[in-house]
Amino acid sequence: MRKKIILLILVSGFLVSCTAVKEYEKVSLNDPDMALATKKTDRFETNFQAYREAASGANGGKTGGGCGCN
Amino acid sequence: MKKLSTIIIMVLLVAEGSAQIKEQKQDTLYKSRVLESTEIDILTSYYSQDGDNAAVSGGIGTEKLTDFTPTIVVSIPLNDDDVLTLDAGISSYTSASSSNINPFDGDHEADPFQASSGASRADLYTNVTGSFSHSSDDRNRIWSGKLSLSNEFDYSSFGFGGSYAWLFNEKNTELSINGNVYLDKWKLLYPVELRSFTGQMGDDEDGEDERIPWEKITGHTPYNPSFNGFNDESRNSYSLGLGFSQILSKKLQGSLSLDLVRQDGLLSTPYHRIYFGDKPDSFIENFQLADDVERLPGIRSKLAIGGRLNYYLNETFVARTYYRYFTDDWGINSHTASIEIPIKISDKFTLYPSYRFYNQTAADYFAPYEQHLSTEKYYTSDYDLSKFSSNQYGFGVSYTDIYTKLRLWKLHMKSIDLKFYRYERNSSFRANMVSFGIKFTMDDL
Repeated sequence: MRKKIILLILVSGFLVSCTAVKEYEKVSLNDPDMALATKKTDRFETNFQAYREAASGANGGKTGGGCGCN
Repeated sequence: MKKLSTIIIMVLLVAEGSAQIKEQKQDTLYKSRVLESTEIDILTSYYSQDGDNAAVSGGIGTEKLTDFTPTIVVSIPLNDDDVLTLDAGISSYTSASSSNINPFDGDHEADPFQASSGASRADLYTNVTGSFSHSSDDRNRIWSGKLSLSNEFDYSSFGFGGSYAWLFNEKNTELSINGNVYLDKWKLLYPVELRSFTGQMGDDEDGEDERIPWEKITGHTPYNPSFNGFNDESRNSYSLGLGFSQILSKKLQGSLSLDLVRQDGLLSTPYHRIYFGDKPDSFIENFQLADDVERLPGIRSKLAIGGRLNYYLNETFVARTYYRYFTDDWGINSHTASIEIPIKISDKFTLYPSYRFYNQTAADYFAPYEQHLSTEKYYTSDYDLSKFSSNQYGFGVSYTDIYTKLRLWKLHMKSIDLKFYRYERNSSFRANMVSFGIKFTMDDL
């Protein structure tokens, strides 16, 4: 697992070094559907999954606690 | 896990230090408001599920549940930099899980495959969250804090947390860190037949009749389980989250996130029955009386690593993908993968077909109905902790009016979202959900 994490961090480092996209070039990236977060209505989906599945977290939703869920 | 989180935090700090040196002085002098006007989201969902492996009846019986959840989220700009968000919801549910805590209070014979119709079949879950965020003048740093409260018939929670996000590299890169603490408390509700062994018997606070028709007992008699209640009513959860997002090209961006969670206290659910294979069985009507309730370790550590990658194919299609790996010290490993393809069919309407795959291994402490032995230290027959895989199919439609032409009093409608999900496990478990959201912006009062 530790190797996987280190690999992820190294990959992240490479990504940071990519050429920066200028503000005026972000038309496509600013499309609401390109957001790296979920929509507000998707909270219900992540909530029921947190109750019905053992895994949670890393998706902007519940990670455990605050409910009688898993 | 502590070492791992320390390493990652150090990497983030070093990255911030080096990038600050490179940071270009392009921050504009003009400062736009973080949020132009008050936004109101009215959200609601209807959820239903059913299956044949209810934890309340030891791994057999109906899992029928319906839930209706109206929610309102109001985001108020306090000034150019600060936003206050209030989020309040009520969840009204009926479930076999809560009704079969007492299967003998209905108007039909007690049966694990039929939810009791008594007072315990329905209840409310309420929650309120307040959060505050502050953005720096150059909008490259965002601090936020939040407080939350929730309550349901057997569970209450107080939570607080904070986060910090830092954008750099011409806002192409974002690093974030967040922490949350939940201090929760159970109301210890045991299966009704076990309460006489803890001195809990009697009419409960809702006036629910807890009398048990002992004269109808069959199978092994006398019913005399070796049962001890829990001493601890608290459940505490501590989470640390790290995030990294990066623009990769003019049409591609991605993110990585990591959540470390530690929970302690009562991690078992007090009304989940256990039937041991080495104990004789007693019944009232068709319902088997519990040998014990589930017992799980008092500590759990979780690690979740997720990644998103979104690609703008063209003016019609966007591809949104997600993957998560999860592991914990209860023996659960899980993979989640999903894809959503938003399809813009006009300047106002977008369709959202989606698919999600999920699988998990079983917790070390899981075994099905009558498979546990009374000599074990930890045991559960909750199928949410069993080995399974699931497929989820979704379809949604969204209407967006960027000009907010439709007005109602001081409210201008911005968008409407409607989504449907179908969830299927590789068992009898099935669930359906419909969610609806409408977003307004509001004129100043």
